[in-house]
Amino acid sequence: MIAIRFHGRGGQGAKTASRILGTAAFLEGFVAQDSPIYGAERRGAPVAAFTRIDKKPIRERGLVARPHLVMIGDASLVQDPAARVLDGIDERTVVFVNSPLTAEQFQAQTSLPGRVTTLDLTETALQQFGKRSAISALLGAVAGRLVGLQEESIREAIARELADLGLAVSAIARNQAVGVACYAAVPMVSVTAGPPQPFPPAALQVPTYESPTRGTARISAAGNSMLRETGGWRTFRPVLVPDKCNGCWLCFAYCPDGVISMTKEDRPVIDYAHCKGCQICVHECPTEALVAEREKEGGVAWKAK
Amino acid sequence: MTWQRETFKKIKQIPREEHVLPGTALCAGCGGLEALRLAAKVLGDDVIYVNAAGCFTMLAAYPFTPFKGSWLYTTMGSAPAGAQGVRDALDVLIAKGRLPERENLKVVVLGGDGSTYDMALSSTSGAITRNLDFYYFCYDNEAYGNTGAQLSSATPYGARTTTSPCSLQHPSGTMQEKKDIFEIWRAHKPPYIATVAPRYPLDLEEKFSRAAQFTGPKLFLALAACPTGWLYDPGETPEVAKLAVETGLWPLKEAVNGAVTHTYIPRRRPVEEYLKLQGRFRHLFEPTRQDEVIRHIQARVDSYWQGIS
Repeated sequence: MIAIRFHGRGGQGAKTASRILGTAAFLEGFVAQDSPIYGAERRGAPVAAFTRIDKKPIRERGLVARPHLVMIGDASLVQDPAARVLDGIDERTVVFVNSPLTAEQFQAQTSLPGRVTTLDLTETALQQFGKRSAISALLGAVAGRLVGLQEESIREAIARELADLGLAVSAIARNQAVGVACYAAVPMVSVTAGPPQPFPPAALQVPTYESPTRGTARISAAGNSMLRETGGWRTFRPVLVPDKCNGCWLCFAYCPDGVISMTKEDRPVIDYAHCKGCQICVHECPTEALVAEREKEGGVAWKAK
Repeated sequence: MTWQRETFKKIKQIPREEHVLPGTALCAGCGGLEALRLAAKVLGDDVIYVNAAGCFTMLAAYPFTPFKGSWLYTTMGSAPAGAQGVRDALDVLIAKGRLPERENLKVVVLGGDGSTYDMALSSTSGAITRNLDFYYFCYDNEAYGNTGAQLSSATPYGARTTTSPCSLQHPSGTMQEKKDIFEIWRAHKPPYIATVAPRYPLDLEEKFSRAAQFTGPKLFLALAACPTGWLYDPGETPEVAKLAVETGLWPLKEAVNGAVTHTYIPRRRPVEEYLKLQGRFRHLFEPTRQDEVIRHIQARVDSYWQGIS
């Protein structure tokens, strides 16, 4: 069996990527299982999805604790302990990272235990689609290549899964083309199948009764959500070009999270620790004084229409 | 006579202070949060929010809260009942002198459209009938968004949700018409009802500040453009919210003691412009264009605006 775990940020397409991989394996006659982990996940928040592929029926269920392949859709997740990207990785695990760095550079930076391979999917999507968009097809195609599936079945799986999501026909065709290009481009590290490694059975704890004053979750602080930083959700950051700003307040008025404040001189100040990168301010700025910059070293990558 | 804003005339009159702090786990680009943040600028910090289960559950996800005031969590169907309890407790404590008058709080219900249009309809009706002094803030994203966009009775005809997909039998996706909750509320004759859209911040701020003069139920229906459920890029939230109003699909209006005034008369761009922006309506254009459905939506809007100016 091969167990694959996808990590991404909500909206990036980790769940769909796992479905594409599962469907492609199914089309080739394998038994496949795929499931995302659901909770209070939101656009930009860390999410995970799991695929299992085998020749015989799969009895294992639930989370993939010891993956053979880990697909990381956003390199910043490696630094986020809450995302638990590195759980259960050993030296045989293949780790794919969506990153502009090479595998050696990435491993030098992070000293991951697994065998690393990288490809810059975000940049590819940006160039090919001309705007930021989900990278599910790309991620799914790369995973298909790493586990040894055929290009044809990946192409068909992308079409089926994206059609399910209601994507436009033209968008599906583009995703297929770019997915196949990534399929060919990813530096190959082959994944070795292993025996199923089920979770140890969970011990069920009998809840004890507490009176509501003790048993109900209570928050006694005021406004402490500031302690939780959501800046890591971004793939693009809004950046101010001060010369162009006319001080109109629109970015401040429309920011849903209230992370933009105005100085006395009517210039916006962005709280990057909490900005989720929705780009509303970039879209709304009448003088193009706010531009979106990809979250990495380098120039401005994307501009709203 | 055209409706005039009295307090909020310029965008720079929007208060600088934030009352819904950052760090919530709501989606990037959430239209509901955009509206709540603006509303809270008028409501202030002396507020107790009574939150029905829904997307806004993520506002004060344990152990963090974005509010300086209080927040209480209820089931989807019982937020107005919870508000009644809180209001009564405050009134009793103040009457008995156990709580000083200056510590009085505004009671604000937060509910999504699933709660407002479906599950909490009876408890809202009860609260309005009892003339409960509270605010009701409905963030309407036209589906059960927190669980991945299932059909609610706020979902408009022609939209696709996970439980009303476009299929051979039902090519339009959703077949029902959006429930007119504004009129259901209005039938109860509360002192103040208004619809708002965050893309019109001054209109929104004005309505919240105007509502403060009324004792009794003050109900707000806020358009919550939803990038996750409506399938568009989060950066386009204000654009979608703007077109919802400009096409006439989301009328901005208020009802003071039952008398309706439209606070903004749109030029009524074709609904197609609004529909085209969103993935949930894509099946109306691809692979084959469903002119019949688009015409139907346009006709509904046209008939709504007949005679309104």
